[in-house]
Amino acid sequence: MFVINKGVSRFKFLIYVLPVIVLISLIIYVPFIMSMAYSFTEWNGISREAKFIGLENFKNIFVNDSSFQSSAVFTMRYSVLFIIIINVLALLLAVMLDKKLYSTNILRAGFFIPYILSLVIVGFIWRFIFMQGFNALGEITGWNVFSWSWLGDAKLAFWSILIVSIWQSIGLYIVIYIAGLQSIPHELLEASIVDGAGKIKRFFSVTFPLLMPSVTTCVFLALTNSIKVFDVIVSLTGGGPGGATVSITYDIYKEAFQNNFYGYGTAKALLLFVAILVITLVQVTFFKSKEVEV
Amino acid sequence: MDKSKKSLIVLEIILIIVVAVFLYPIFLVIINSLKSFKEVMTNVIALPASLHFENYTYVWKNINYPRLFLNNVIVTVTAILGIVVFCSIAGFMLSRTRSRLSWLLYIFCIAPMLIPFQTIMITLIKFLKIINLPNNVWGLGTLYWGFAAPTAIFMYHGFVKNVPKEIDESAIVDGASTLRMFFSIIFPLLKPITSTIVIIDVMWIWNDFLLPLIFLDGAKETKTLTLAAYTFIGQYITDWQYTMTAIVLAVVPSILFFIFMQKHIVKGVTAGAVKG
Repeated sequence: MFVINKGVSRFKFLIYVLPVIVLISLIIYVPFIMSMAYSFTEWNGISREAKFIGLENFKNIFVNDSSFQSSAVFTMRYSVLFIIIINVLALLLAVMLDKKLYSTNILRAGFFIPYILSLVIVGFIWRFIFMQGFNALGEITGWNVFSWSWLGDAKLAFWSILIVSIWQSIGLYIVIYIAGLQSIPHELLEASIVDGAGKIKRFFSVTFPLLMPSVTTCVFLALTNSIKVFDVIVSLTGGGPGGATVSITYDIYKEAFQNNFYGYGTAKALLLFVAILVITLVQVTFFKSKEVEV
Repeated sequence: MDKSKKSLIVLEIILIIVVAVFLYPIFLVIINSLKSFKEVMTNVIALPASLHFENYTYVWKNINYPRLFLNNVIVTVTAILGIVVFCSIAGFMLSRTRSRLSWLLYIFCIAPMLIPFQTIMITLIKFLKIINLPNNVWGLGTLYWGFAAPTAIFMYHGFVKNVPKEIDESAIVDGASTLRMFFSIIFPLLKPITSTIVIIDVMWIWNDFLLPLIFLDGAKETKTLTLAAYTFIGQYITDWQYTMTAIVLAVVPSILFFIFMQKHIVKGVTAGAVKG
């Protein structure tokens, strides 16, 4: 179509592409550039003037800001555990659900349901379960786990957030793994049966390597979602007890919209961008090399 | 043979129990939304002694549920229409045009996939005040055009590569103008990827929290469902019977959507995850 009349086509091309260029520029690039500029300033969001202070914000983040450091530690621990646990559990369940069961469809739907709920609401659901539900279950069963302070104790609150996040999104990972399992050619599995490979050996030497693309997808998803964890914390613990469950994104939110340290908040937000960029690039190269080997 | 059948039945029973435990929290929320305050405090697990539907009438009126529902529909429909119209044609054009400019513009469009929302949210709010975008549900809907565009263009761009070029060329011979050709001939061919994009974007936008929280003005009429449930529950935090009711009201649309669209949703999110 563009060969016929190059002059007109080029003009048309630009006309049709222009709207998204403008939208992306205004909604993403302009604020992004502003973020870079404001990260070098002291700006409270209310006064018009933002004062240029050079690298002061970044220096403060690394030297003086214990809340940023603890939120970074929280987020890293959370992300690592989230990625590992959700992938192992989802893969395990996917293998089981991939078998010929009568109720496969209902079971899959059951695991998927929490994923369609908003994370804020999920946080509230579990707040109720941890506070009221566990009380009642403790009385009936007499089990100690139910009387622990799941939201009041710093260590347990960390696990509460982890458990609830996994509960909400495991269905997504299960369906991705099931799709991956179903795309493995039957002949390969049958050949390995003929070769006399046991079930477990068969899984690790045939199924798992062929599932590598799904693993890449799921690890990538788990990483991008966990590193930005926010909604569930807001409604489940509010960052408490004593700031123990404040994530990086929650810290940025509080800095800007509660403490009104806008300039300082943008500096932190920019660091988040750099961190995510580096981790993503490392991960993509690492997993791509793994897939080629297979 | 018999042994493996037996173990399958055992596995099935175990999985059914696991799913029942897994969904038990949702069941508890539903039964407690129908109890009186006293009953929630004294007996969380038992079924309600009598059904307190007045919880529902109270919360329904208090949060103005129909208005909130309409707000969510406005935000989601505005957003999705813009995303699909602008990104399908842009993705198509960028994919079909082979030139350096086209490649540069494509990179320009998809690079923001690497920028987390939190990195730009603070300055975004400031910028939107400068350009005076109304901070109501219509404004909110249009913001998603920008936020969804990088992924949507990426997906359309990849999909169009597999649409045979002969189809556009035959349309040119028929003398169709580009825009008409696109919407009458190409767009229907993009249906699989369009439905994937629509599904994942609807689920995201319908439930989104942070952007509505920082963007919408505090007024009651301009809230989204999730945001209003958040504010309501914040106020009534210890009135468990009301908070449970608000939760049920907030999630019913999503659950219905899931029940009717289950197959499309599962297919959509899987395809979206693999391609995005």
